[in-house]
Amino acid sequence: MSNRNSPFFVGYLPLPAGLRQWLLVVCVLFIGGLAGVGLTMGVAQDDPGPGAFRFDYGRQTVTGVIELTPYPLVRVTEGNDRIMPGTTLMLSGQGKSSVDQRAVPLEGQLSQVSGVVLQRGTLNMLQLRGGANGLSAVEGVAPEQSTEPLGRWRLAGEICDGKCLAGAMRPGTGLAHKACANLCLIGGVPPVFVSSQPVDGSEFLLITGPDGSALPKSLYDHVGAYITIEGDVERRGDVLVFRADPESVGVPG
Amino acid sequence: MSVKYIPVQWNRNKWLYDAVMLAGVGLFLYIFLNLTPEILDHERAINPQVHNARAFGACAFTMMTVILCIGPLARLDDRFLPLLYNRRHFGVMTVFVALTHAAYIVDWYFAFSRSNKYEALLFSNTSYGQLVGFPFEVFGIFALLVLIILATTSHDFWMKFLSPPVWKRVHYLIYPAYLSVVAHVSFGILQDQQNHAFTVLFVGGAVSVGLLHLMAALKERQRDRDLAVDGADWFDVADASEFEDGFAKVRLLPNGERVAVYLMDGKLSAISNACAHQNGPLGEGRVISCLVTCPWHGFQYDVRNGQSPAPFTEKVPTYNLRMRGTTVQVDPQANPPGTPVDPVSLGMKEAT
Repeated sequence: MSNRNSPFFVGYLPLPAGLRQWLLVVCVLFIGGLAGVGLTMGVAQDDPGPGAFRFDYGRQTVTGVIELTPYPLVRVTEGNDRIMPGTTLMLSGQGKSSVDQRAVPLEGQLSQVSGVVLQRGTLNMLQLRGGANGLSAVEGVAPEQSTEPLGRWRLAGEICDGKCLAGAMRPGTGLAHKACANLCLIGGVPPVFVSSQPVDGSEFLLITGPDGSALPKSLYDHVGAYITIEGDVERRGDVLVFRADPESVGVPG
Repeated sequence: MSVKYIPVQWNRNKWLYDAVMLAGVGLFLYIFLNLTPEILDHERAINPQVHNARAFGACAFTMMTVILCIGPLARLDDRFLPLLYNRRHFGVMTVFVALTHAAYIVDWYFAFSRSNKYEALLFSNTSYGQLVGFPFEVFGIFALLVLIILATTSHDFWMKFLSPPVWKRVHYLIYPAYLSVVAHVSFGILQDQQNHAFTVLFVGGAVSVGLLHLMAALKERQRDRDLAVDGADWFDVADASEFEDGFAKVRLLPNGERVAVYLMDGKLSAISNACAHQNGPLGEGRVISCLVTCPWHGFQYDVRNGQSPAPFTEKVPTYNLRMRGTTVQVDPQANPPGTPVDPVSLGMKEAT
């Protein structure tokens, strides 16, 4: 039974006088509460990191030697004010796509690459323009490029797609980003391992399969997660390539 | 109450309800979308698409949390009943906010590839065999589909079309949907959080929903114990002296049905406690203009026959009463909805 003395609300009738003050307080608390929650949740967002498309650099065009890891790299031999000779750039196409079809025929050849730089710390990637405007062979003999083995390593960290990590998306790491990263990897974007500790001065390593193959599909399940994994590391210019063994995946202790 | 179906039967209280709701939601989104980017001291800003997706996702979760708190709050304190009145508008608004969240996510994370973005949403992460990295998107998809179904069927037309019991069961899907949202957040953004302010608010909101429902359930259980009746064929309701004109005594019958026994103009009549609209507790209502008025949405019934006044067509079952000395007794066999029953005068010895 309802209380005789309590006001009785009927939606299509005027608000009972005894409820007005109460409902005013509830309304103020509701509106103020939502504003407070919106503010708190909004300012609680973590820093997405310093990666970004460097549109401020303008279109960058350099010449170098194309290498396949199997993911394509360009070892810059003739740079510019922004990209010095000796720099190694990972290459990607527009969106979540690779440039493999254009790069494979040019492996080991001197080529000109052109596009927009993505940069995060020591990680540099070039998103190429379409067709031959983005990648084409040039006259000349390709200088010999060195590869320095750095031995076998067991690393703790996270597998990401190199493009989102480099700044195509902010944030571009973590489990909430896993599906997006997988879609990039399916599209052929170079994968990158973010090591919790620097390896020979770099926390970002291009990660591949153990025998120079593409990242094994079994490792897609571990994208975005904090894992340990073993493999051989080699230096190609200023990029480290991590040839990871998918059987060695573990959980950090 | 409605006798014909129009999109919304507006009244002043609905306008006020929606205005307050929109003010709260609008302020939440305005602050999250426009003010927090200025406050965040990041070297590089979060992508606007991600920021927007988070704003609408956080807002949808907060709205669902508030909506699910209203029911138990109203059971615990009837001063919250006005918040129940137009709750369906709150729910429909939540769907639009949740859809906006989903649109930002799909158009950002799942775009820019050669695959269809909706197909990519389903195939890009298939790690269903593990907890870390589980495709939390499926929880969001399920919750969104449920919200769309609930919003689409929220109108009274659908309640009539499906029948109130079926409609009610369909709308209980809000609970699995909310749990699914909790899983969506827990397996998603919560895994990456470094700043735990969001975690505290999220867990606090979800726990509040659970606790309030538990408290309301315990109160209902205690109330049911108090309402339980004794007897053989007829069951005691109360002594005649305990009735107040215009108010009801509610009793829980052995068959699980609740009966509301009203005293009106010195005579007693009994109807089902469950409103034909949304099972609102008629026994907690009032007699207004000689009609029992449901405390949830104001549906009205003539207590003598369980019928809504013309031109309305809602009906509830009636019950037979009799007096044994000064004790009012009820026959637990309900009459078909809308069956007239002669009221029992408090002075009469027996009536059927």
